[in-house]
Amino acid sequence: MPKDAIAGSEALLDIRNLSVDFRTPRGRVKALRDVSFPIRKKRIVGIVGESGSGKSTVLWALLGLLAKNAEVVAGEVRFGDRDLLHASEPQLRATRGEEISVVFQDPMTSQIPVLTYGTQMRDVLYRRRNASTAEKRRMAVEMLGKVGIPDPDKRIDQYPHHFSGGMRQRAGIAMALLTGPQLLLADEPTTALDVTMEAQIIHLLQDLQKELDATVVVVSHNLGLIAELCDDVVVMYAGEVIEAGDVREIFHNAQHPYTRALLECDPARIDDVSRKLPVIPGDIPDLTRSLSGCIYAPRCQRAMPICREKTPPDVARGGMSLARCHLLDGPHHDTAWPPPLDVTTVGQGEASARKPARVRRDDPLLEVTDLNVQFETVGRLRARLKGIRQRHVDAVLDVSLSVASGETVGLVGESGSGKTTLGRTVLNLVQAQAGRVRFEGQDTHNMPESRFKPLRRDMAMMFQDPVGSLSPRKSVRALITEPFQIHGVTGVDLDAEAERLAEMVRLPKPFLSRYPHELSGGQARRVGVARALALNPKLIIADEPTAGLDVSVQGEILNLMANLQAEHGLGYLIITHNLPVVRHIADRLAIMYLGRIVEEGRTAEVFDRPVHPYTRALVDGVPQPDPDRRRKHVSISGEVPSLLNRPEGCDFAARCPLAQDRCRTGKPAHVTMADGRRHACHFPLH
Amino acid sequence: MIPVSVNRSEIETGIPAVDASGLPDYVSDAEFRESAARERREKLRMFLTNWQGLTGLILVTLFFASAIFAPWLAPYDPNALDVPSRLSGPSWEHPAGTDQLGRDTFSRILYGGRVALKIAAIGVSVALVVGLILGMIAGFGPRWLDNLLLLLFDTVRAFPTIVLALATVALTGPSLGMVLAIVIITSIPQYARVARTATLTLRNTDFILAERSLGASMSRTLLHHVMPNVVGPLLILAAMDVPVVVTVEAGLSFLGLGVLPPTASWGTILNEGYLVIRDAPWMVIAGGIPLILTTLGFTFLGEALRDIFDPRMGKGR
Amino acid sequence: MLYYLTKRLGLSAGVICLVVLVLFSLLHLIPGDPATIALGPRATPEAIARYAEKMHLDEPVWRQFLIYIGNAITGDLGLDVFSDRPVTAIIMERIGFTLALVFAGMGWAMLLGIPLGCLAAVKPNSWLDRVTGVLSVGTIAVPSFLVSIWALLIFAVHLRWLPAIGAGDPGDLGDQLTHLVLPAFAIGLSWVGYLARMVRASMLEVMGENYIRSARAFGLRPRRVIFGYALRVAILPTITLIGMGFGGLISSTVFAEIIFARPGIGKLIFDAVMARNFPIVQGAVLVATGLYILVVLMSDILIAWYDPRVRESL
Repeated sequence: MPKDAIAGSEALLDIRNLSVDFRTPRGRVKALRDVSFPIRKKRIVGIVGESGSGKSTVLWALLGLLAKNAEVVAGEVRFGDRDLLHASEPQLRATRGEEISVVFQDPMTSQIPVLTYGTQMRDVLYRRRNASTAEKRRMAVEMLGKVGIPDPDKRIDQYPHHFSGGMRQRAGIAMALLTGPQLLLADEPTTALDVTMEAQIIHLLQDLQKELDATVVVVSHNLGLIAELCDDVVVMYAGEVIEAGDVREIFHNAQHPYTRALLECDPARIDDVSRKLPVIPGDIPDLTRSLSGCIYAPRCQRAMPICREKTPPDVARGGMSLARCHLLDGPHHDTAWPPPLDVTTVGQGEASARKPARVRRDDPLLEVTDLNVQFETVGRLRARLKGIRQRHVDAVLDVSLSVASGETVGLVGESGSGKTTLGRTVLNLVQAQAGRVRFEGQDTHNMPESRFKPLRRDMAMMFQDPVGSLSPRKSVRALITEPFQIHGVTGVDLDAEAERLAEMVRLPKPFLSRYPHELSGGQARRVGVARALALNPKLIIADEPTAGLDVSVQGEILNLMANLQAEHGLGYLIITHNLPVVRHIADRLAIMYLGRIVEEGRTAEVFDRPVHPYTRALVDGVPQPDPDRRRKHVSISGEVPSLLNRPEGCDFAARCPLAQDRCRTGKPAHVTMADGRRHACHFPLH
Repeated sequence: MIPVSVNRSEIETGIPAVDASGLPDYVSDAEFRESAARERREKLRMFLTNWQGLTGLILVTLFFASAIFAPWLAPYDPNALDVPSRLSGPSWEHPAGTDQLGRDTFSRILYGGRVALKIAAIGVSVALVVGLILGMIAGFGPRWLDNLLLLLFDTVRAFPTIVLALATVALTGPSLGMVLAIVIITSIPQYARVARTATLTLRNTDFILAERSLGASMSRTLLHHVMPNVVGPLLILAAMDVPVVVTVEAGLSFLGLGVLPPTASWGTILNEGYLVIRDAPWMVIAGGIPLILTTLGFTFLGEALRDIFDPRMGKGR
Repeated sequence: MLYYLTKRLGLSAGVICLVVLVLFSLLHLIPGDPATIALGPRATPEAIARYAEKMHLDEPVWRQFLIYIGNAITGDLGLDVFSDRPVTAIIMERIGFTLALVFAGMGWAMLLGIPLGCLAAVKPNSWLDRVTGVLSVGTIAVPSFLVSIWALLIFAVHLRWLPAIGAGDPGDLGDQLTHLVLPAFAIGLSWVGYLARMVRASMLEVMGENYIRSARAFGLRPRRVIFGYALRVAILPTITLIGMGFGGLISSTVFAEIIFARPGIGKLIFDAVMARNFPIVQGAVLVATGLYILVVLMSDILIAWYDPRVRESL
């Protein structure tokens, strides 16, 4: 780390040469190698990286909370006059919670369920011996109010399960800031939240940071979050810091090939939807082996022989800015690097960059009309005893939708929108209470299983959890060929079929003998695709096809799906909450809110000119991976109401900035506009 | 929203959660097979260096061997009377002494092992199979059936075994068959419970849903997908259950409710030894040692197996 | 909460009825005359006739069952076959000894086992943890009736430190306590192992949870984290275990009473079985079952009340 790197604002925390190993049965994993960067006072620093980058490990190393099999091999962390890495446990404990605080990723599991917030927050303040219990409670109530929890004086005595996800995260932030720490660490603070809540939390963090003059470190894989929130950015790859700098430098003038490639792969930064999504080919290297040369060389588009032999230097640009690459300095300095932003550096590895042409036939493959699905919440007896009037929730309410062959329809919604339930009802895995589902002209809703079974060959589902949706004790080969066995298809060489399908999804043959727990997420997804394709279906319902996948590799599965669609004329129903991705892959979009479709139309039009206020809030709410396009205000407040408490009138009225009296009294009907767009709003935006 | 579970696994195991969806560059099939082989060797090594597991294995083998080969190993006929040398202490002729009728205690111990083996083998296997089936039905079937079965299991477990045995024997008289029946009936609920819990957990998993979406029938799902995942914990439970079963038989025979004299069983040896405890204390010691060794052996073995194959179970309930 | 209570009580009552039903059925399913079976082959014809009359054996079976249940609710469990004394009175005389033993046994096991498990979890792989681990497995594996016999042999017969037989002088508390030591030790020993192991496993699992990591990240003192956070959650499965294992405890108690000749319910049942005194068997089994059900019920309610998530969903 060059000595003049820390110029300008003073460093609150200085990480120098941090190296951490993990002892595992597979060997010694060198998770962090020579990580150095400063955290400047009163700045928001973002550590961005994909899976395996080690970004969270840095956080835990700072606090001394690494797992037991971790070993800090080298380095120091200067915090004031202390070295946190070599401090004693009591010293660390004094720092934790008081000077350095953490906001955790998953608020549902990070807060103890059997203690009230009041008790938990009082515990956090245990070091304030001079403050009485009443005083501590007052501080806690005040902080809860600051993070936007209504009625904090009452709610502080509630248990975590009384709070919704977004509120729990707010409470978590309140707990972290209670002691007025100098440094706040946030580990993927919005990953577990809905898009509309994410936007609110981002603004909350920004406001609080300004008000409390705090220094914040945010760890995330979400480039949009980093761009919206952070002042300084550190980019990590496979345990190393490969680039660092001011947020604008990183996003507008990335120096390192990986950073550049990562930015190019983010679908939110790609305007042209007619091209296939870029992918960084390959995988992070095996960190149990000794590594020579540049860590990114195996995947780098510009790799040179020197890259595999010699570790690249940290080339500084001033301030805390640096990038670790041979192209930037020394004998291999390339003045033409980096190219202007509109040039794509990451190859697609495909014959052509354009998406394959598809034929969209007119006859609808799938037609859903006024579908209603209800779930019973309370048994009849208990409802009687407790005087509960409403015994069920409407998970899907009056939904109409269609998918044609060769067409991709995106079903977009946040939690509680009913999109997953809709998908399952189409596949007859859930019973419908009213409405129709027609597949190829035949009514299939609530069809008895014996009659429906043959139709299962024509429609298949891809599940959200790729590894979890595969039976753990079956080999990949058995799983892929199971559909043949289930439907009694005879006269087929199962092994040949397995190989054919594996080939189709680009899964190497040796993988056929593996078991699900031996597959990575992406490999397991391919197995899911292969299984879905086994009997040549006509419709595939994909539930969150990119969940858990890094941005640099999600393109693989999406491009594969596009190819298959062009070859076989498949119809896709993509269920997702990921707006940037769905913008690239869907022809039409249906937006769901609390079980109803609030808007439906062609993708480009829905994005460019949303008609329903909720759609606009969604589109506006997605964090933009461009620091120049930060939103100044949040267009939406509050949370998705619970299905158990469906409001009278329009479901969205409570949060809608344009709500009027009529919205609160009557549910809007479905309206079809002249250009084919459908919506459900009393006062549409156009 | 979908929580990215990357971070936790990264911390817990130290293995960065790798997500390769391109053609994987670093893990070729040869490397993968090598690393899988390494893991298998590691498991074997763990087992062999776990002194508990080893001891358990030795003791269990000793149990099986002595019971099966008893007719060849026993120096005397277990029922051969030799009244003049009654109640003599351990000696070269009688390593465990003689009982009140002059029978060689050591031989009786060996033959007692056969009784224990019989009860254990039949009792545990029958209880396991029945428990597995009932548990899967309870977990997979309709709610009312589950509630009914649960009530049944609870009722059976409501009888402390000994009380059930006493009540039954009051009416039918003691016998080995009775003991076996009691053992089986009171063991079934625990297998059923474990099977039920495992089935319930599985029922809500994505892969069961996936099987349904493919059109798999209920029987196929149960047989191919649920059962293989449920059997594992049950087998480990079986290893831990053998000591319980053997103890129940010994206890009932001790009270005179099970195996009848003159048949040798560890329980009857203890019974006779208890009656002469002041004059010939070595009998209860001799009768108790094989019981302890067997129960310890199976328990150690079960624990070691659980630690290696199902560490989640070992750390949890 | 009230709904849950009612449901559980109803279920418990149902189970007790079922238990009595099973006993009844056994009596009537076995081929032969019920009175003869109950009283044994050596009973005199008069005794049999008297028994048949007392037990209403001429009535249909379901009626007999209902009569019995009806009587039981009012506290009448029939009469002893030999002495004609009310069974309820006999049981009441003896139940105190059983309860004393059960509480003493479980009590010392909890006092030793729970802290041991806690300490082992807090310092995994320390020598304390390893020793606790071996001891736990060891004590679980050894059958409790064998412990009773050997304890009797070593401490009462050989060393003569403690008395072997009986429950002690009725008026003398100290004497009663010394008579309690060995049996309580015998039945509690395996429970030390169970509890230590359960607490340890449960604590280890809880300590791996995210909310414990949060507590540590906030710098809370280790003692607060362990007892105020981890143990508070980890104790729940332990309560369940105690509830579920209570039947085993009763079994051990029966053996202990027989071996040490304590005049409790267990010995009562045993003697009654040997003497073919069926009404006592039936009544005592009912009481023992009722005791077990009560404990399970209390542990379930305790858990339901303790965990706020469960408390409110009911």
